[in-house]
Amino acid sequence: MLNKVARGFAALLLFLLAIPMTGAGETYFTGFLQGLYGGGLDSNNPTSSEMTASETRLQLRMESFSNSAEFFGRLDFTYDDYYEPATDLELREGFVKFKLGGKFDFQIGRQIITWGTGDLIFINDVFAKDYQSFFNGRDDQYLKAPQNALRASFYSAPGTFNIVFTPRFTPNRIPTGERLSYYNPMAGEIVGGSDYYFEGRMPEAEFKNSEIAARFSRYIGTADLALYFYHGFYKNPTGIDMMAMEAFYPRLNVYGTSVRMPILGGIAWLESGYFDSRDDNSGDDPTVPNSQLSSLIGFERQLTSTLTANLQYQNKYMIDHDKYVNSLVPGMIRVDEMYHLITARITQLLLMETVTISAFGFYSPSDEDFYGRFSVSYKYTDALTLAAGANIFDGTEDYTDFGAFKQNDNVYIKITYGY
Amino acid sequence: MMKLHHIILTLMVLFLTWTVKSAAQDNAEDLMKKAHLVMFYSGDDGLTDVTMKIVNSGGKERVREFTMLRKDLVEGGKQDYYTYFRQPHDVSRLSFMVHKIPDASDNRWLYVPAVDLIKRISADDKNSSFVGSDFTYEDVSGRHWTEDNHKLLREDTYNGRAVHVVESIPKEAYKGFSRKITFIDKEYLLPVLEEYYDKKDELERVFTAGNITAIDGIMTPTLRKMENVKKGQYSTVEFNNIKYNVGIEEDIFSERYLKNPPRQFIK
Repeated sequence: MLNKVARGFAALLLFLLAIPMTGAGETYFTGFLQGLYGGGLDSNNPTSSEMTASETRLQLRMESFSNSAEFFGRLDFTYDDYYEPATDLELREGFVKFKLGGKFDFQIGRQIITWGTGDLIFINDVFAKDYQSFFNGRDDQYLKAPQNALRASFYSAPGTFNIVFTPRFTPNRIPTGERLSYYNPMAGEIVGGSDYYFEGRMPEAEFKNSEIAARFSRYIGTADLALYFYHGFYKNPTGIDMMAMEAFYPRLNVYGTSVRMPILGGIAWLESGYFDSRDDNSGDDPTVPNSQLSSLIGFERQLTSTLTANLQYQNKYMIDHDKYVNSLVPGMIRVDEMYHLITARITQLLLMETVTISAFGFYSPSDEDFYGRFSVSYKYTDALTLAAGANIFDGTEDYTDFGAFKQNDNVYIKITYGY
Repeated sequence: MMKLHHIILTLMVLFLTWTVKSAAQDNAEDLMKKAHLVMFYSGDDGLTDVTMKIVNSGGKERVREFTMLRKDLVEGGKQDYYTYFRQPHDVSRLSFMVHKIPDASDNRWLYVPAVDLIKRISADDKNSSFVGSDFTYEDVSGRHWTEDNHKLLREDTYNGRAVHVVESIPKEAYKGFSRKITFIDKEYLLPVLEEYYDKKDELERVFTAGNITAIDGIMTPTLRKMENVKKGQYSTVEFNNIKYNVGIEEDIFSERYLKNPPRQFIK
């Protein structure tokens, strides 16, 4: 507890120190206070609590800039009692950005990073996600988890180069069995509760285990094109160390490309990435994912002036499926050579955009599973927003991407006061 | 012989009325073009702080604050817009960029800093509301004068000043309006009143421009209002700290600055 208070003061001090650092041209403070309360719909869910959320969150944002440098920080204080009362403090972002000459931009510190074209489908965006938050009704901004990184951008006539260096590997935040249950391959079933709290084994804190993500992008006509590269680890602990009976993060490279352009009165995007599973080059290790080629196509357009809809199709092709099948031990789950996923989003705005109704569905015909996100929000005033929503999972099998969470169906309400 | 005379006379009358009428049309189109250029293309570039109030039929008021940058690439043609939002809290630090191409669909990008996301926005429907207000995207950047047929209805006075009154009818069926009446101030060549009629030819929206002030020698309406008379609601915008010809470079309207607001212009 004392440790947390100390960390809080340290973070606040950092905020205040940042003012002179940027020359204190201008400084702004903003933020919000939010209550989120959610409950599970499945009483057999083996988690520690039937609440999926019961938290009060205060976000403090500080922005300070001059012509030459800029500081931005977001600090979240939460009181969370979905299971046992606890307070938490997280520096969501805290970075400095500055220009060097006319062509270089740097952004250094704790930051949230996004690239790629998909709508809630990520291929070349190998930056940390927070699926715990995503599945329990927190705002969309919490889907992305921060990374401590150095980001450099170089602007030139042929296009823009970005490079993101993350010294310490930052994994995704996935359901651990505490708040949300998950499928445990060693137990062979959906598990939760304190006996199954789950944590993947991190790579050693060594320089060679850092992450590097790079992108080159440029416009051609009205299309934006990009090439991507990633060197690091799978962001989910998809490898199993049979000796230690531990899940770990296998080594990964990703090579990819994307195009996005206006067409047929809407926006279309295409993205693909080759996932090179470096701990299983020959494809015959059943405890590490095989290399895959993942492709995505999507289209979005306005149907009326207040209604927008989009559709996406993604597939993942396993490169060495035969070897993979041969390597399986009887009783192990067999994954298909080709995975298919279809998503649809529809957003309706009402009452001068004060009411937003949104539905997003993921459906995999090959895995026979489903995940739906539904929400309604109402901006009562500029400051006060009321929202309610639901997260619904379904699946024929327990071990598929969404089927693994099928006991976590939940509904929530959320109240936000911004200042 | 009489017959030939008749024919010649009729032809002459027809020709005269045609020339007079087309001269009036030219004149009306010319007026609308000039008014459009004064309203939407003043200077080579410009920036302003905007306070927008959206008032619903119950009188409840919502406020948006943002800074807008504009650069003209072709006078009366291509333009770039950059909007940086400050208020309310849920859109603060958001930036929005438009490459406007009058004869084609605009290119639009939105940057959401909370998730570091650049989103391309489809721009098919120019009648979508601009940030929930009674102004549409088209109202903000202007409807090109060549999209309508214009007719000078009369000369009149409005708020004690001499105005031209022009009627505009879309050349192609258009859901924004079926007919528009524009009052153009004779001296400033600025539209000071616009009446938009819906497809039933009933008055739907009324635009007024006021508080016309000389800024860097350019007459600028700093208060604008769009009222939806059918819904009983209205939106107003107030421009502050207006500057023209400040030398905004074209590369400001790029992904680099979408993510990193140009602090020399946006404090």
